[in-house]
Amino acid sequence: MSEITPRVTQPYLGHFTGKVVRILGKVSELQGDTASIDAGGNIALHLNREAHLTLNHAVEVIGKVQGDDSVRVMAATDFGPQGDFNAVEAVVDATHRYHEIFYNKD
Amino acid sequence: MDYGYATTSYGAQGGNDGGGFMPGSQNDSPNAKRSYGKDTLRPVTIKQLLDATHPNADAEYFLVDGSEMTQVTFVGQIRNISTQTTNVTYKLDDGTGTIEVKVWIDAEALNNPDDPANQKSKLTDQAYARVYGRLKAFNNKRHVGANIIRPVQDYNEVQYHLLEATAVHLHFSRGPPGGADARSGANGMANGGYAQQQQNGHSASGSNVPSHLSPAAKKVFQCLSTSLQTNEGLHMQDIATRTGMEVNEVMRAGEDLLNEGLVYTTVDDHTWAVLQM
Repeated sequence: MSEITPRVTQPYLGHFTGKVVRILGKVSELQGDTASIDAGGNIALHLNREAHLTLNHAVEVIGKVQGDDSVRVMAATDFGPQGDFNAVEAVVDATHRYHEIFYNKD
Repeated sequence: MDYGYATTSYGAQGGNDGGGFMPGSQNDSPNAKRSYGKDTLRPVTIKQLLDATHPNADAEYFLVDGSEMTQVTFVGQIRNISTQTTNVTYKLDDGTGTIEVKVWIDAEALNNPDDPANQKSKLTDQAYARVYGRLKAFNNKRHVGANIIRPVQDYNEVQYHLLEATAVHLHFSRGPPGGADARSGANGMANGGYAQQQQNGHSASGSNVPSHLSPAAKKVFQCLSTSLQTNEGLHMQDIATRTGMEVNEVMRAGEDLLNEGLVYTTVDDHTWAVLQM
């Protein structure tokens, strides 16, 4: 697994095509091996076998951004039904604004 | 009498030899250890730990943003747990990098099922954990020697920690919020918020004088906080001229302000400067 996984929301996906990122969002749709989460916008996920998502729970996904801005999931962590998504947005904003302490821009 | 006995015995021993402490005896350890008064507990990202500069191979501290870092705290996801005979090594990943965290095993506590250390909820693979410890370098490899590692129960703590680490990073790299060093203070959501708070603070110290003060005291305080002056403040004669008040009126007002702790004396008893909080 990649050592550095920048935290992103939907609007950032275009800048991270082909990269491994970390997304914290709310599960809005579950359909077999695909799912949708809301993280600053709707993101389509391609699930792996180990991922266990729960509808309306917050989930942290580590995955690779595909060309169509969908994400192929490598690992998913359930964060439970509660969570402050404003704080999540603020962290993503800080991650890219002050990236020197979060990831190296290339 | 007890009293008499005590004096006699003290006299017999001789005042000069009786003391157990010699002046300076506490300070005579050679190459004194770094003072623990300098210890700080800094919230960081793992990337900051990996990027920190080590002044020299023996140094006990690292530099981050040009300031010393001794104790650190961070939050990360456990990627691997390996239990050795003397320690447990956790590999932690916070999205900015990965680092090994070593926790020494307290054998006595381990063998005692009643020990609080054994009652704690377990750290499991893939769970988030909060670490408190010290960054160490060993054979060019960095790890954290942890005092405490505990599971994160509320996931908001992850966001909280990353925002706190950012705020502290900005404090050291750009100066305190709203301060003279704050470059580009206006850009950046967090910074903007701070600057605003600071401004509010300033206006408060300028105009929010306690309401129970006399009008004269208020006038003197207003004069002191708005007039251009050196760090020696203003002499009461000067204040009298500026405000058109009587000198003894200014003096009484100044005493009131001194008693309130709003101003302090500088070069003499009648020269005052505003106490900036």
